[in-house]
Amino acid sequence: MAERPTFSPFWHRVRAMTPRLRPHVQITRQHYRGRRWHIVHDPSSNNFYRLNPIAHEFVALLDGRRTVEEAWEISLARHGDAAPTQQEAIQLIGQLYQANLLRVDTTPEVEQLLHRGRERLKKKAMSQAIGIMYFRIRLFNPDALVSWVEPILRPLINRVGFLLWLAFMIFVAFEIIPYGEELASGVDSAIAPSNWGWLIVVFIVTKAVHEMGHGVILKRFGGQVPEFGVMLLVLFPAPYVDASSAWALPDKWKRIAVGAGGMLFELFVAGIAALVWVQTRHTPDSLVHQISYNAMFIASVSTILFNANPLMRFDGYYILSDLIEMPNLMQRSMNMIKHYFKRYVFGMDQDKPPTTHAGEAWILTIYGLCAIAYRIFLFFSISLYVMGKMFAIGLILAIWTASMWFILPVGKFIHFLAASPQVGEHRARAIATSVLMIALGVGLLGMVPVPDYRKAGGVVESVAHEGVYFGADGFVVESFVHPGERVERGQALVRLENREMVAQRASVSAEIGRIEGLMRKAMMVEPAAAGPLREQLTSLRDQLAYLDDRLGKLTVRSPASGVFVGSDPSGLLGSFVREGDALGEIVDPEHVLVYASLNQRENSWIDDGTPYEVQIRLVSAADRVIEGSTARVIPAGQERLVHPSLSYFGGGTVQTRADDQTGTLAKSKQFLVEITPRVEDASWRGLPGERARLRFELPPKPLLVQWADRLMKLIQGRVQL
Amino acid sequence: MSQALTRYGALHGSILSRRRKIETHKGLDRLFAWGAMRLAQRRTRLRYLVREARAVHRLRDECRALSEQALDEQIEQVRTRFRRGRIERDDIRRALALTREVARRETGEEAFFVQLVGALGLYHGRIVEMLTGEGKTLTGSIAAPLLAWKHKHLHVFTVNDYLARRDARSREGIYRRCGCSVGAIQEEQTPRERFEIYARSIVYGTPKQITADYLRDQLRVGPLRTPWTARLVTGGSGPMIPGLRAALVDEADAVLIDEGVVPLIIARSRSESEMAQVYRDAARIAQMLDEGPDYSVDHLKRRAELKRRGRERARQAWEKLDGAIWKAPRRAEELVRQAIVARDCYKRGSQYEIIDGRVIIVDEYTGRFLHDRSWEHGLHQAVEAKEGLDVTADRETLARLSFQRFFRTYRFLCGMTGTVADSRREIEQVYLRPVTSVPTNRPLIRKQLRTRAFRRASERWDAVVEEIIALHRRGRPVLVGTRSIAASEMLSARLETRGIEHRVLNALHHEEEASMIALAGRAGAVTVATNMAGRGTDIILDARARELGGLAVILTEMHTARRIDRQFMGRAGRQGDPGTARIYVSLEDELIVHHAPRLARLLALLPGRQELHPSVVVRLAFRHAQRRAERRDRRNRANVLRQDDWIEKHLPGG
Repeated sequence: MAERPTFSPFWHRVRAMTPRLRPHVQITRQHYRGRRWHIVHDPSSNNFYRLNPIAHEFVALLDGRRTVEEAWEISLARHGDAAPTQQEAIQLIGQLYQANLLRVDTTPEVEQLLHRGRERLKKKAMSQAIGIMYFRIRLFNPDALVSWVEPILRPLINRVGFLLWLAFMIFVAFEIIPYGEELASGVDSAIAPSNWGWLIVVFIVTKAVHEMGHGVILKRFGGQVPEFGVMLLVLFPAPYVDASSAWALPDKWKRIAVGAGGMLFELFVAGIAALVWVQTRHTPDSLVHQISYNAMFIASVSTILFNANPLMRFDGYYILSDLIEMPNLMQRSMNMIKHYFKRYVFGMDQDKPPTTHAGEAWILTIYGLCAIAYRIFLFFSISLYVMGKMFAIGLILAIWTASMWFILPVGKFIHFLAASPQVGEHRARAIATSVLMIALGVGLLGMVPVPDYRKAGGVVESVAHEGVYFGADGFVVESFVHPGERVERGQALVRLENREMVAQRASVSAEIGRIEGLMRKAMMVEPAAAGPLREQLTSLRDQLAYLDDRLGKLTVRSPASGVFVGSDPSGLLGSFVREGDALGEIVDPEHVLVYASLNQRENSWIDDGTPYEVQIRLVSAADRVIEGSTARVIPAGQERLVHPSLSYFGGGTVQTRADDQTGTLAKSKQFLVEITPRVEDASWRGLPGERARLRFELPPKPLLVQWADRLMKLIQGRVQL
Repeated sequence: MSQALTRYGALHGSILSRRRKIETHKGLDRLFAWGAMRLAQRRTRLRYLVREARAVHRLRDECRALSEQALDEQIEQVRTRFRRGRIERDDIRRALALTREVARRETGEEAFFVQLVGALGLYHGRIVEMLTGEGKTLTGSIAAPLLAWKHKHLHVFTVNDYLARRDARSREGIYRRCGCSVGAIQEEQTPRERFEIYARSIVYGTPKQITADYLRDQLRVGPLRTPWTARLVTGGSGPMIPGLRAALVDEADAVLIDEGVVPLIIARSRSESEMAQVYRDAARIAQMLDEGPDYSVDHLKRRAELKRRGRERARQAWEKLDGAIWKAPRRAEELVRQAIVARDCYKRGSQYEIIDGRVIIVDEYTGRFLHDRSWEHGLHQAVEAKEGLDVTADRETLARLSFQRFFRTYRFLCGMTGTVADSRREIEQVYLRPVTSVPTNRPLIRKQLRTRAFRRASERWDAVVEEIIALHRRGRPVLVGTRSIAASEMLSARLETRGIEHRVLNALHHEEEASMIALAGRAGAVTVATNMAGRGTDIILDARARELGGLAVILTEMHTARRIDRQFMGRAGRQGDPGTARIYVSLEDELIVHHAPRLARLLALLPGRQELHPSVVVRLAFRHAQRRAERRDRRNRANVLRQDDWIEKHLPGG
């Protein structure tokens, strides 16, 4: 309501009442952005209510003897226009009463009390249902535990303690930095399925410590920790404590300390685990080493990824909202976004923003946008991830969450458009703009063609290729070429050395010299004896020629002009190779093909006939993109893969049969697509057998069609249609 | 006869009613609850009712053959079964056949088949739509005994005290024969008399009376919620109404919808004499300001908005005044705005009338005076100040109850109405009662003549007078409907100057009106009436009038709800009588000027000198404006309901 009418027709309902706050209700002062607020806290139910000073004064005036009207008149006399209007006073009383914070002088109404209790339960169940991604199960009251731990840690829960903690963390950081590589390499094994069991155990333990951290610090500052339980975070159990009584702490730094307490404790655990890990690094297979790594991993990574993230309603969020002194940040920023909508899209000029402070408005806007974006991101990533693991559950989860996060708000929005009195005369415009925006959105997504890409794995094969083999045995002493270089026919590629052969030749030529001497002598003395010698000489000469030939072959020459491909010969330097071993191939770069292997469902978008543009990136040189186009689609499905490197084991994407020894029999029938790369320069190092990532450029299609296509593909793949 | 009702019994019943939790639904819940209700009530759809009515009809001869004594015996038997709560389908059939026979013997009217259908609908808790003149009174009176047997006490709501009295008296024979005592609540009765009457099994009364009694009961019992504690405190003067058990609402649309939101307020005057001057000052300041440069008025919402210049001028004016209220700028502005609204949106003769130096509210729907009611805080006083009357003291509300809430408190609710189809959804959603339209007994042969639209209001009145004269010359009885009392008087003056003898009915005296409207069907009669005048009484044509073409209804202006228009035009062509109806509108009518001003400007471009060429466009445009008005009202009602529900839910006591 833009205007605040002073009088309310319902005033008679509260006028003569003499309510007062229930005696156990506590009120604390807090300051938010320089303004004073009063927090009304009911410890028995953990209900909170935030009042501005004038409202607080009004509530304080209700002492059980004054009537509401008297209190209102006093307030009116003191504050004039700023005093609550009758309507506002009624609302305040109603809400406090509903929250069970107000005792009203009527006879206790058991019925209504029970009714309110039921309402609360219903609301709770409702919010549980909406937030199935964070389902809570209450376990026990941890007060005894916290009360036991808190005195022990009390001397440390102060500034000094925090500095000690900081010092410890810095120490740990220095300790661990030298082992950075090992640390990084451990991640793979830590998230490997075989480690999951330990990971879960460690997760629950460290998170329990985390929650204890909140609890202990809260207890230290005089709060209550009435509830400990397990939250099913995307079906994954994570402990939680109810630390909401921290909201009543007057000092914002104490509230922040409670919010950060979990992370402090958890990082401390991570620090200890890191030290243990460093100490046990000599026995890398020991359980202690493994577990300490897990603990370190979870206590640091999960904390930073989840708890510290202010876009979800975890610790980081509360810390942030205390830090910038803006409680209810999430809700208010959503209201801010709604306000922009109402104001600028629907033209509802009289709609009030949740804040009039420019700085706050900025924070709310930015936070709101980030939170929405993050929510969408989280929804898709979590749903797709879980769908990938457990399709049915993931699907249910996704549908449920989608309906709660998106459909419900949309439904509410439609209801708002249709029924809210706020919209009033703006309804026509509101509906028109909404429809227009939806139409525009659907139009953009559903009509405007957008380049469509599909990805696939492929392998390079050359059509015309000639093997380069070693012509002789020998040690590699010199290499003249690198893979990918262009070579001419007859160009030396590698030089081998074979001392034995050189020696042999030396002895053979020495022998020839000797025999020739003998020959000359025999020619003069005894010509008849020259015959056998000549024969011997001939054979020796043959031998020499052979050896020369072999020696000549020690220098491997290119059998053809083209591009040399294969492993880099310089890697062979000094090693012994045998005749007939393959050095590599000389391929014709003009005639290299890339084969893509697609299974049936993937192939659905490949429409043979029209050539597609394909972008090829080699795994070895991912920074270079080669254009290509499909030459041919071989529609007949075959199970045998063209190349082992397409299979899972070869690093590709095709699942092979477990019972197949060669690893080239695919689980499902594969379709082969031949792609001709357009290679202009010779520097392209597409080696046969090398894996490539392919991006097919499909005819542009509207995004909606593309998404539907992909989703269908995903679902088909899962349920094996 | 009915059991003696003790004070404690009444107290118990009353407390039970108070403790009844009314289900309230919001948003989607509301749609869901509505759907669930439709689903739960699907068994008693019209088809079922018709089938059952046939079964009842088959018992006719058997019942006719009964001797008086046998009839009484049979009634006693079936009544016992009803009171024991063991009601089989056959019992309902037999009971209805018996009450029908009783009605025939006592009053000589035998219920038609469609009336049986209607009565069954009532019995099953439905809101029954029967076109005007289809004999709703008889339908109600054959269903009432069944309901009274079953629910012990039945309240039958009529539009005014006169009808309550008349119906209670005329139906007494039937009810007595059925073992039901009957009484009518009248304005002048004392609480002791009322207690006596409420103890009877069938009680006639107006919503206003019974609601007020209920509210007074609640006030008397105070905040207590159990009869046991209440008994200790209240002592001798307990509640009058032994609980709200079953209600049969005649003219359900008017009661449940039009009046649904107007809350009944029990108030006492507070002596706050200094406020009188404040309101007069506010009226004076408002007088200084000009619409346009100083403020703008939204006639739709009845809201005024001060512009910068107006605010400045008003501030200068009130700064010269003393009095605490002028020191708080926001409240001061509020007062001025209210004074502007009182001046510009509330017109004497339309929204209110001054009688004996007091402002009396006129119900905008029905044109009836709402005595003893006042507008919300300050508005009433602002109107008084504007008219220069004595400003009555601010009245302090003691208790307040809207009819919507009141009727939802009944454990059983059914109703009859002439036209509910337009607001079917609303009734069904608010009261969670299904609506059934019962077909007419005889086909409707009333002719709907083409709507005539004029540029100026005065041209329209001229045309109306001409048509009245033309019809009158031919001898046809004419019934002219006006929206406000002022209009009816203006038209009356015009007719006077033309020398046409006529009668004017404007909801002043129900009893006289009833007899006058009964005469409106005589040949040559001219009757000018506000919409609601004489409702509940049939216009019976005499033979000559029937020959001449029946009653001619002229509606001089479209109402803000089509329902009301249909209701009024429904006065012609009852029970297969001949008749015509014609609507006159002008582009200066409040309806189109306030609700579709742009459309009004567009319509002005249409051809035609004084009268626009009759076309579909004109009719649709006016219908559009009417629809917008209906929507505004519907929304207002929903708002009131929402507020009401919020208060009930969040505040202690009730």
